[in-house]
Amino acid sequence: MSTLSIVIAIVSFVLGALLALLTIPVLVWLERRIASLVQDRLGPNRTNVFGFRLGGVVQSFADVVKLLLKEEYYPSHIKTGRWLFMLAPVITFSAALLAFMAIPFADTILVDGEALRVQALPIDYGVFWYLAIGAIGVLGVIFGGWLSHNKYALLGAARAGSMVISYELPLGLSILSFIITYNTIDFNAMVQWQSGTFFGFLPAWGILVQPLASIILIVALFAETNRNPFTVAEGESEIVAGFMTEHTAMKFAMYFMGEYVAMNTASAVIITMIFGGYQIPWVSTEMMLQNFSTFAIALMVSVPVIVFLLIKWMRKNNTVRPTVSTDGGRNFETKVLSIALISMTVLIEVILLYLMFFADSALANSITVMLFQIVVFVVKLMLFNIFFILIRWTVPRFRYDQVQHLGWVYLLPLSLLNLFITAIIVVGVT
Amino acid sequence: MKENITVIPRHGDSFKDKLFLPAIYDGVKVTFKHLFNNVTDINAVDTLEYPEEQPRDITERYRGLHRLTHRSDDSIACVACFMCSTACPSNCIFIEAIERDDEKDEKMPKSFFIDTLECVFCGYCVEACPCDAIRMDTGIFSLTGNSREDFVMDKEQLLSHKGAFGEENSCARD
Ligand code: SF4
Ligand code: SF4
Repeated sequence: MSTLSIVIAIVSFVLGALLALLTIPVLVWLERRIASLVQDRLGPNRTNVFGFRLGGVVQSFADVVKLLLKEEYYPSHIKTGRWLFMLAPVITFSAALLAFMAIPFADTILVDGEALRVQALPIDYGVFWYLAIGAIGVLGVIFGGWLSHNKYALLGAARAGSMVISYELPLGLSILSFIITYNTIDFNAMVQWQSGTFFGFLPAWGILVQPLASIILIVALFAETNRNPFTVAEGESEIVAGFMTEHTAMKFAMYFMGEYVAMNTASAVIITMIFGGYQIPWVSTEMMLQNFSTFAIALMVSVPVIVFLLIKWMRKNNTVRPTVSTDGGRNFETKVLSIALISMTVLIEVILLYLMFFADSALANSITVMLFQIVVFVVKLMLFNIFFILIRWTVPRFRYDQVQHLGWVYLLPLSLLNLFITAIIVVGVT
Repeated sequence: MKENITVIPRHGDSFKDKLFLPAIYDGVKVTFKHLFNNVTDINAVDTLEYPEEQPRDITERYRGLHRLTHRSDDSIACVACFMCSTACPSNCIFIEAIERDDEKDEKMPKSFFIDTLECVFCGYCVEACPCDAIRMDTGIFSLTGNSREDFVMDKEQLLSHKGAFGEENSCARD
């Protein structure tokens, strides 16, 4: 193992941890902002650090401080199983976090003839890892609800249990269809498979190759993450906060953050399995590496365009109406951010120029491609997270018997049917 | 009996309804339209940025904080008749009367307190007053203080409030 390969392993681990943890405040903020914008409100937009509000995302950090400083209240009626009651949120949170670790952020990178995986845990059985670890999360929900000795919490836990039996089977079967199609259980190999084309012109993304299994997968993962329209384990109007009724301060925050990490993980799994992961359509990693100068020129043209549009958007929208007496430093913030963005663009251009004309190192090229793929991955991840959030503010909730009905009467036969058809086609083709 | 029964048609049995996805697509279309419009033009969101932006919809009929009106010579219009404190449903007007020496009327209030923490802003005092001496047309809708006493308005404070809609003096006394 060379030093560089160790560096890349460490960097991808840190990146995985950061992507999973740092997205929590961003997702909480996105959820609140998108909810309000969908409902024609503004949402949190005031909290700032030295006038920098970044659209309000600073609010989430204030929330974290608040949750950390809250009183740790322990319900005195819980006599037995106290340690499990405390441990339950941690189980949920860490299961969601660990499941994220098998997601590749970029294609394998060749260092001295050694292929290194750019994923936090360099394993090649990612799908099984996800299924195994992801399913543990609900145990935390059930333990937490059960040991609360509270009727609402117990009902929430029972509902969570009923959810598991409704979605796990269709989820597993639809993933099985993908495994048969891609002929692998390695997330990275799945993404590589999807970089090809299909019927000659369509990108071979899972959603186009396996539309039915994709829909079942998305629905099942919505259920797995306990998001709308499948929030049955909690419900303010029926069972208060459900399984987390008795959990306070950081114990509650663990559940809360676990939900967002789970959503992030589900988005990552969905884009990796059916939306081409870190690839942009029609372009595979080899193509980018072989035609590096074309890729660099395309990047050099598109980055300034994107930054220009971003600055234009910021100048228009980081403002207040003329009737508002003060803009609270928004103008200043726009200026500083614009300068930062422009200098970043210039830096990127200079580096790309240098790589194109002066440096002729395959390693530098592949690192550039890797960084590009990471950016593509993050953008796709955020877009799908936004879709998750948009669905939450669109669709009303299902009753939990309806979820069971949906899972067993519709999704299970459909996924079985899809599995048969896939198997027949795959056997027929090969 | 039969003809009184209305049969309400049930929906949701067609294949399209059972599929759910078209309905979800329609819903997402609506929410996404709102999201897109608001993201591309944040100032189109019709939200009041209070307190930097003050409400624009306070009309003449709005019952704001009370004030005591003046006559045209700037003396107090109130004649301490106790009509308002009698009408007040929350018994929060406290008046003490003295004899008036400027020959305009017989009486005037020595002290006039309104406890705005008790007040329900019903406007009965304004209706009851025969002299148009008490009004709620200041347009003041937010009142802050550090102690309970800060919320008890005395005569000087009430006289100092200005009408927000043009009419300054009492219309019944001159
Ligand atoms: S507004 Fe109503 S409650 Fe308030 S002082 Fe007048 S009569 Fe009393
Ligand atoms: S404010 Fe009007 S009703 Fe009240 S005591 Fe004065 S004159 Fe009478």
